[in-house]
Amino acid sequence: MAGAIIENMSTKKLVIVGVILLLFQAFAFMVGGLIAPSPTTAVHYLATKCVDTIKHREETKWFMPWGPDQCDKIRTFDEAMAKKIEANNIVFAVHIPLPNKEMSPWFQFMLVILQFDIAFKMYNQIEDGALVTIDVGLAYRDDTVSEWTEMAHSFEQRKLSCNFTTAKTFENEGRYYECDLMPFMEVGSVAHKYYLLNIRLPVNERKKVNVGIGEIKDIRFVGIHQNGGFTKVWFAMKTFLTPSILIIMIWYWRRITLMSRPPVLLEKVIFALGISMTFINIPVEWFSIGFNWTWMLLFGDIRQGIFYSMLLSFWIIFCGEHLMDQTERNRFSVYWKQVGPIVFGSFCLFIFDMCERGVQLTNPFYSIWASDVGTELAMAFIIVAGICACLYFLFLCFMVFQVFRNISGKRTSLPAMSKARRLHYEGLIFRFKFLMLVTLTCAAMTVIFFIISQVNEGHWHWGDHTVQVNSAFFTGIYGMWNLYVFAIMFLYAPSHKRYGDEQSSGQCITGDAGANSGEDIQLTTTITHVDGPTEIYKMTGKEAQE
Amino acid sequence: MDNRPVRRKRTGAARHLLLAAAFLACSSQLLVVDANSWWSLALTPIQRPEMYIIGAQPLCSQLSGLSQGQRKLCQLYQDHMIYIGDGAKTGIKECQYQFRQRRWNCSTVDNTSVFGRVMQIGSRETAFTYAISAAGVVNAISRACREGELSTCGCSRAARPRDLPRDWLWGGCGDNVHYGYRFAREFVDAREREKNYPRGSPEHARTLMNVQNNEAGRQAVYNLANVACKCHGVSGSCSLKTCWLQLADFRRVGEFLKEKYDSAAAMRIGRKGKLELVDKRFNTPTLEDLVYIDPSPDYCLRNETTGSLGTQGRLCNKTSEGMDGCELMCCGRGYDQFKTYKHERCHCKFHWCCYVKCKRCTTLVDQFVCK
Repeated sequence: MAGAIIENMSTKKLVIVGVILLLFQAFAFMVGGLIAPSPTTAVHYLATKCVDTIKHREETKWFMPWGPDQCDKIRTFDEAMAKKIEANNIVFAVHIPLPNKEMSPWFQFMLVILQFDIAFKMYNQIEDGALVTIDVGLAYRDDTVSEWTEMAHSFEQRKLSCNFTTAKTFENEGRYYECDLMPFMEVGSVAHKYYLLNIRLPVNERKKVNVGIGEIKDIRFVGIHQNGGFTKVWFAMKTFLTPSILIIMIWYWRRITLMSRPPVLLEKVIFALGISMTFINIPVEWFSIGFNWTWMLLFGDIRQGIFYSMLLSFWIIFCGEHLMDQTERNRFSVYWKQVGPIVFGSFCLFIFDMCERGVQLTNPFYSIWASDVGTELAMAFIIVAGICACLYFLFLCFMVFQVFRNISGKRTSLPAMSKARRLHYEGLIFRFKFLMLVTLTCAAMTVIFFIISQVNEGHWHWGDHTVQVNSAFFTGIYGMWNLYVFAIMFLYAPSHKRYGDEQSSGQCITGDAGANSGEDIQLTTTITHVDGPTEIYKMTGKEAQE
Repeated sequence: MDNRPVRRKRTGAARHLLLAAAFLACSSQLLVVDANSWWSLALTPIQRPEMYIIGAQPLCSQLSGLSQGQRKLCQLYQDHMIYIGDGAKTGIKECQYQFRQRRWNCSTVDNTSVFGRVMQIGSRETAFTYAISAAGVVNAISRACREGELSTCGCSRAARPRDLPRDWLWGGCGDNVHYGYRFAREFVDAREREKNYPRGSPEHARTLMNVQNNEAGRQAVYNLANVACKCHGVSGSCSLKTCWLQLADFRRVGEFLKEKYDSAAAMRIGRKGKLELVDKRFNTPTLEDLVYIDPSPDYCLRNETTGSLGTQGRLCNKTSEGMDGCELMCCGRGYDQFKTYKHERCHCKFHWCCYVKCKRCTTLVDQFVCK
């Protein structure tokens, strides 16, 4: 990769490109912060306690918590006790969404969290390691009058982890335990307008089912879905970014094929980075508006995974190709040691994701965290992936350190070198330092914004305007990495200013860091005055042609 | 109680003025404008609003104790009224729990004024009552939101149901705790806002006190609500996180407000028509603090003028040194002792819902009642 555009561009043009990219960056942040609403909304639901009076039913009956055709309700369980209603005849019904509203495919996904309100009673405390067995059914319909259609039905077990913060005395009877949130359901597409959850907590004393779970007073749910407005802004952004990256990618590849030498490894990796970015960008999500594709969530995860592993590989290879330690690399196999952890780590996360979201395609109530074995397995995957990430960063830091050591080493010997060789090294150093700076800025921005969005409550008031920090984080960071890939493909493409001296460049700089000591002899040029790398390269080009 | 000496003095004075007070009773009746309160919603059963869909008027005009503005709100948000009643009930119940061992035990007197004439004195107890009932309303409205019982829930920036589906699709509907807080502010404070007393008058002071205490109650619910979050990014990572407010157990709200009651600030009306501290050495109360303008009346003896019920006939604890001990509770009048059988359920076996099998245990206990 000799003579990239970045080296041959004048400082003025470079500044102009930088400013344009910064403007786009600011625009990306503003789109999220000012136009888009917050990314997700949490809606609370309190399960209505319905009474199932029919003893033996052939077909499943669905219980509606409100509206016409609503079920027989009880407000408290004391009422049920008075009426001699058994536990198995109590159905907790939740209609999603709340009255007068309807769900929409724009919500993209829906996940539901379960929480029990359990009152403390001296004689009926929660036993250690108590398990709740839930018999749950999910149904949907698209208008307010038709019958409910069953979507999923399952028996699930969840572990109760509750603690009672005050003293366990008669005085404090009736106070609630503090229970952890439990993942309950995850649906990858919201294709229907109305959803209905019917939940039973069957009691079987002999089999120890739902015994020792305390006095459950209420079941609460929190439904989380993406906001329609955010989805629209997000789609618009993707639709705009796809052609931009695609065009620069085609342009980039055309430049490379125009050269007479075959593309070097770094050029291929940059191209692959472009492909993975495009893969993430392509707005296939538009189809989720028309089709009921529940696997979209999983697909999105996979796409992101591919991009991240590609980005990490790119950094390693970029560092490696700028090592300047006279070894011939330019082969992918040289980097197996560094790329290996990335591949292995992302594979682990992929398996974990398949275990969680993959299984949820068939059973939306499944959660890997619900069982002990599942929790251990999931933790194992995550820990292995974490170790891989640490390993990778050690390698990367070591490589960056090596590059800087070599740079300072080269600095001292630079004046003693022949002109062309010196220019070659100066170009390498400049390219490396530039990318290093940009990458560090991008990574720092990502980390800073991530922390802000985690710490902050989600929006800032600014006069009359509300700035949605979380949305700005998403659109801004997404836009930033797109611009990053765009800039790399543009600035690190081979410069056309060197088309003429293909032979000489092929001779003097084979590959990226392949400057052998023997080439020094061929690089004898007769330049007398130099002013900056840009001019130098032009001149060496001209000189070599002559 | 903490400011006993002050009260003793007042009792003496009150005895002397008993006669005068009796004469003044009529005029004081005129002075005090609001003999009845929205608290009465807690005691009068409210019919389900569905019954009144055609004629909007009956429900709201039937309810006694609503002020002009509150009646208007009632007409706009009929479905909320039953939950306001629930909220007031929760508040009163919590008040009675927190004050079960005090001389004044938050007992209700009748269906219209609810707590009787004691509430006309701007005392600490009044401050607490206002705060806890406002808190109860926030709690109840927020809960009703979650149950899906309120049509405007969460999306109430203005009454604009036509835009609602679009807003909901675009950015969802706001948090229901926030909604509960705002609705309670509209409703509970409506009574105070519509009064127009001259600046610096005692009535004005009382209005300011009520507004402050109502706000303190609402703030308590809002601030004690804790934030719960769920991470749901790629592979469940925290790149995408959603948070929401979760209401605390109402008992905790009660305890919190009780602490505020103990540290309530004595205020008086200043020259600028604002409340200012009686004792400047203390810190100025924040929005979360309770304030009072009058010293508490003597709750030991029954007094028609102040509305105090007295502690005669109250149960007390013989061994306790605290406020529930017979010495303090009966104000030194002594106590009677009896033996009664106490029936308790014991050795119970429960299933989570609706199934309890208990034995009945009977014990003979000593009980003490104030003379």
